[in-house]
Amino acid sequence: MFPVINWSLVSLEVLMSIILVLLVAVDIALPKNTDKDWIGIFSFIGLAGLIIFWLTQGSLNGVTFSGMYVMDSLAWFFKGFFLVAMVFVFAMTQEFFKSLGERRNEFYLLLWLALIGMCLIASSADFLLMFIAIEILTISLYVMTAYLKSDRLSIEAGMKYLILGALASGFFLYGISFLYGAAHSTHFDVIQSYCQTHGITPITVFATVLIFAAVGFKIAAVPFHMWVADVYQGAPTPVTALLSVGSKAAGFIVLIRLFFGVFGAWHVEWSLVLAVLSAITMTYGNLVAMCQTNIKRLLGYSSISHAGYLLMGAAAGTALGAAGINFYLLGYLFTNLAAFLVIIVFSIAAKSDEIADYAGLSQRSSLLACAMLLALVSLAGMPPLAGFFGKFTLLMAVIKSGYVWLALIAGVNIVISTYYYLVVAKRIFVEKPHSTTPVAISAGMQLLLVLAIVGIVVVGTFQGPFLDAAMAAVNGMYLAHP
Amino acid sequence: MLGHYLILSGIIFSLGLIGVMTSRNVLKVLLSLELLLAASNLSFVSFSKFNGDYAGQLIVFFVILVAAAEVAIGLAIIVVMYRRLSTIQADELKEMKW
Repeated sequence: MFPVINWSLVSLEVLMSIILVLLVAVDIALPKNTDKDWIGIFSFIGLAGLIIFWLTQGSLNGVTFSGMYVMDSLAWFFKGFFLVAMVFVFAMTQEFFKSLGERRNEFYLLLWLALIGMCLIASSADFLLMFIAIEILTISLYVMTAYLKSDRLSIEAGMKYLILGALASGFFLYGISFLYGAAHSTHFDVIQSYCQTHGITPITVFATVLIFAAVGFKIAAVPFHMWVADVYQGAPTPVTALLSVGSKAAGFIVLIRLFFGVFGAWHVEWSLVLAVLSAITMTYGNLVAMCQTNIKRLLGYSSISHAGYLLMGAAAGTALGAAGINFYLLGYLFTNLAAFLVIIVFSIAAKSDEIADYAGLSQRSSLLACAMLLALVSLAGMPPLAGFFGKFTLLMAVIKSGYVWLALIAGVNIVISTYYYLVVAKRIFVEKPHSTTPVAISAGMQLLLVLAIVGIVVVGTFQGPFLDAAMAAVNGMYLAHP
Repeated sequence: MLGHYLILSGIIFSLGLIGVMTSRNVLKVLLSLELLLAASNLSFVSFSKFNGDYAGQLIVFFVILVAAAEVAIGLAIIVVMYRRLSTIQADELKEMKW
């Protein structure tokens, strides 16, 4: 009677859960007054082991837990993405709390929980599992956002994120309940065949709109973007980095799974809505970003505009569009994490996130200035960096699908965004510094900065293998729409 | 018959939505958020009953679990907020704008 479970498919998540439980035990067993950051060290060992283990899983393909859990090329691609992102976020956390002196062990455990949530999102083939995985991710993010108990901004950000996030999950669940009512199941394969045999009915439109509202919240698309700027500014910087890379990528996996797979049959009806939302999102993000004075807030609005660019791939609705999303996210990973590494190192030294304080950074640390310049220029989309080829692939995908107007709007937006990114770069390189004391960078941070820079340049110049990987992830996708 | 249950769940959902948007008190907002999940639970159970399969009723247990976790986190953040800001009014959260 009991279904047979193929444990090799779920082994990555099982290992993560075991590591998490072991770390909780270590945290309890550790003497309270040790100075050494044992949980951090064990986390790095665990992450390194998991990345090696992940490399061996590339050929896994299959469905288990009675069709709730799927391991396919898309899931494999994004699990690697999340593991690499987490290496950066753990290092940022270590650096961030070293200067703060607050208790950081729980923070590592929450990061592990968020990682499990993200990997489960990548592998879900059922709306129930998807809902629970999204909740695992967001609930741990609520706690991490409000983690700095003595910081007004952190509490405010946590509260706002909790209210709007819970609202979004309410929408998601209500949407699922109607889809369940219509299709008699929450499995993706059943719902997909329901979509193929039935046309669009009021009940399914209602359900898809609600579900899209929740996904739009996760990826920070207009009009579900209200939380972004405040949460990005108020949250501890490692959380902001995780939100801008991990949480956004998790949202886009859901979007790819749903709008290329499950609802693929209705793509013609959805495509125009996605295209219009994409145009509004990128324009809004870029226009508001121009008048920001806080660097984290600026990157918050910039992340809204990047959600707009990424939505172009969803609007295109082809395999090229989906591969474009994957490739863009890969470049975005290194680019944004480079920017946040600089922000963390600088904020520890200067105790400030104001753009005005970045004046003359090039004279205080050439590595920081160089990393920030590359990150900004790649975000703006200059060749030959990662951001350029990502935008190029997405533009090609929308033009092939017949949305020339969307490509034109995106072109205008890229020009606008270049302006505000370069204003920051000008401050760093041209203006006179307030103080000339060099910014100290620890060896670990130096290593990661160099890694991120290498990532930006390599993904941009040798795009071939990465583009192939992004394409292979889409081609081998479970339930891909024919 | 199914329609009646769905209308009821729609009313509960709308009440929750109105509550989230109009309440000044963060505790009231949290209560309204619970209403949203309760409305989904009701529609899951009624669909499950009228479709004749049990998956919907199973889902409700998971949703109750998630709702409990969300409330626990929400109340914890409210406690921290009260200690630091000495208020639980949502309009006092105005440090960051634009």
